[in-house]
Amino acid sequence: MSLEYDKKDCFIVEGKLALPYTYFPGRLGSKFITTIRDKKIIMGVNCPKCKKVYVPPRQVCEKDFTDIRDNWVELQNTGEVVNFTVVRYDDRHLPRKAPFVLALIKLDGADSPFMHILEEIDISEVKAGMRVEAVFAKETTNTILDIDHFKPSKVAKISMSDRSGSAGSCDPGVGSVPHMKKQSGGRGDMYNKVIITAALTGAATMKNQNENVPYEPEEFANEAYKCYKAGAAMVHVHARESNGMATHDHARIKATHDAIKDKCPELIVNLSSAVGMGKTPEQRISQIVAIKPEMASLNTNTMNFSIIDRKTGKIFIDFVFENTFTMLQDFAKAMLENGVKPEIEIYDMGGLDNFMLIGKQGIFSAPYNLNFVWGVAGGQAFRADAFIALKNAMPENANFTTCGVGQDQFPAITQSCLLGGHMRVGLEDNIRVPSGEIAKGSYEQVEWAVRIAEALGRVPATPDEAREIMGLKKK
Amino acid sequence: MSHRKKNRNVGIIGIGQTRFSSHREDVNQPEMIHEAVSAALKDAGLAMKDIDCIVHGNMELFEMVHQPDCWHTLGTGAYGKESFRITTGGTVGATLSCAADNLVASGMYDIVMAIGFEKLQEGHTTGGITNMADPLWFRNLQTGALTGSKAYDMISEFGEERAKKASVMYRIIMDKHAVKNPMAHRAFGLEFEQLDDLVRTSPKLVGDLKLIEMCSQSDGACVVIFAEEKTAKKISKKPVWIRDHITVHREETFILFGYDEKHPVPMTHRFAAENLYKRNNIKEPLEYFDVFEMYDPASWWAVDWIRDFFQLKDDEHLKLVENKEIMIGGKMPINPSGGVIASNPIGATALVRIAEAALQIRGDAGDHQIPTEVKHALASGFGGTMWTVLTMLEKDLNW
Repeated sequence: MSLEYDKKDCFIVEGKLALPYTYFPGRLGSKFITTIRDKKIIMGVNCPKCKKVYVPPRQVCEKDFTDIRDNWVELQNTGEVVNFTVVRYDDRHLPRKAPFVLALIKLDGADSPFMHILEEIDISEVKAGMRVEAVFAKETTNTILDIDHFKPSKVAKISMSDRSGSAGSCDPGVGSVPHMKKQSGGRGDMYNKVIITAALTGAATMKNQNENVPYEPEEFANEAYKCYKAGAAMVHVHARESNGMATHDHARIKATHDAIKDKCPELIVNLSSAVGMGKTPEQRISQIVAIKPEMASLNTNTMNFSIIDRKTGKIFIDFVFENTFTMLQDFAKAMLENGVKPEIEIYDMGGLDNFMLIGKQGIFSAPYNLNFVWGVAGGQAFRADAFIALKNAMPENANFTTCGVGQDQFPAITQSCLLGGHMRVGLEDNIRVPSGEIAKGSYEQVEWAVRIAEALGRVPATPDEAREIMGLKKK
Repeated sequence: MSHRKKNRNVGIIGIGQTRFSSHREDVNQPEMIHEAVSAALKDAGLAMKDIDCIVHGNMELFEMVHQPDCWHTLGTGAYGKESFRITTGGTVGATLSCAADNLVASGMYDIVMAIGFEKLQEGHTTGGITNMADPLWFRNLQTGALTGSKAYDMISEFGEERAKKASVMYRIIMDKHAVKNPMAHRAFGLEFEQLDDLVRTSPKLVGDLKLIEMCSQSDGACVVIFAEEKTAKKISKKPVWIRDHITVHREETFILFGYDEKHPVPMTHRFAAENLYKRNNIKEPLEYFDVFEMYDPASWWAVDWIRDFFQLKDDEHLKLVENKEIMIGGKMPINPSGGVIASNPIGATALVRIAEAALQIRGDAGDHQIPTEVKHALASGFGGTMWTVLTMLEKDLNW
């Protein structure tokens, strides 16, 4: 829309200013550049307190002003693309003719990524997570362009599948090997958005305990919709027969799944691969293969999974929840093949180790999404220090959420939110709200989770944001 | 001018400066700033976590860096903190102090750190300052910050010999002060015996403004930490109280249509001082204040402005200079630090005035400390198109 006005007699002053400058990069910046120029070595500095390796180097650690100027460390010329952009316009100040790729590259041995040009690759092939190596300039310019550019690295064994840093491009159908990561020292990343999941039913919570437990597909859909409106990004579902019994019937599960997706297409539906007591491995996994939800639970150890009177210790129902290594392997493969992202259920440290062990086969896709489960009769009760131990033991490229049975629910999810993880609530785990009253539905617990997030300054993720974080492909 | 009583008293509890010099090849901007930040934190006995908010300032574009506060966080400690950038030209250091004072007095923050810096060697000041000028009327004519008009005025009023001698006398006194200040950029060791020689031989810049009379370009940073009364008393043994400050703009630099007798040149400094004293009930500023840290970019200006700041008449200001009453030990010591003529890291310069005034009140100025007790100090800031910030500092909370 052009503005019509009288421009007669309006003179325009055309001008141009030169902006000359000199820059003193200081001793650190100077050494960084001259070492690249003279020795073709990229150097960083290491903070002895927080163990972070910064590149480019800096005098002080950003956290507490620890003086780190003398702690030089030599880095590898190889690294990983954390993220990238394609420059698609030409301008005099740009280092290359468009189109070219500018990538944030985290060098091996460094903790902070830095930007450089990525070449010798078709732009459409560039992916976050890919391995790259530095190519040094033949003629020096005493600038950061003494590294001429980065190119794809040949030695990339894990690179093709290990793509966590950038979600969108992750493929639940491509496997990778989980690697041990350096301990983060318990520093949670509170800036991440928090994914709230509502586990609507489970296999055992019945209407006689809380009348809002859904049985019918339509009830599931309505309850899921309310949870979504309250702030949930995902629902976890065990389908039920009309009489309330957990079912492995494909048609009923599909009807339940589809009813939720029809009512609320944005929501992520996460189906159970446990289904309920006494189901065979075939019954448990075939429904996942048939329905192919975006996500499904995947349990990591065989354990007691019983119903015990919490006050008296009296055994009501004794049950062994069978999850052999073979099942873990077969379920993981089936999910990988069918593009279903597993939510890896961790009931204790042993379960995490089981996942790491079987994960060596490369049958899980990064990022790995773990759920720490507390308070199952047969599993461990919630303890804050045990939670931190689990978090510290996670592999690289892993997200974590948590759920707790009964009174463990809210303490566990608060801890998770505090440590930068995600939260699962729902009537599967607990029929009450923190006040002790019977919950009006899973959605009321979602509302409580949102309050916890708000109190801790975190923002609930939308389903699409949750997909990005967890590496899901919308179906 | 409308003015209200402060909501809370505010004290200076920490001061840090770098040494001022023409080049700092060994550090980049955040690293240089960090030296002053560390010194101020050490002076206050605080850690970065104790600082609630940071105000950061310098001259616009003088380093040819856009939004310097955003990439200085590593040096300033503003990482994850509340932070403001302020840029008001030459006065920016004084405005930083005003802003910090207001932020604390308001109750918004208990401890605020003001950071002023300049690394002039990296930029191109004329390039930056030319941007300030109106593109049609002035941009093609602007010569940076130099002007010889004050020399012309003073020579017209007091005669050539007396005026020129007073200006160089002021300059020598400032150099004698700078020699005592280890932070000062330029300290030549000038002697009064050289006065006539300097008048004769110093190269002229514009009109009768000579090279020796003009301030330098300096690199450096200054940091001052402000705290509310209770915190200040708890943390600091010798908090220095900010009694009041005033900022005045009268926009008289660009007098397009010449001087007019009916509308004489308005005097921003005089106007600012008059209003500040009136509202603080100070009848005789020359008697009241024990020290004055003045923003003195050139000695001609400095001599003339003494008259305005102290509300003097006729040649009273010249006599103060001629009788060396502005020296350390004199009736009204001006710039024991050596002043702006000795060191001019512009974004820090006006904050250095406040920092040095506070050091005098604390008795911590070292070799350039005034020998008698300093209870009341005045600090000024000056900016390109003639605006003024005046700050009053006090030893005791008793006004």
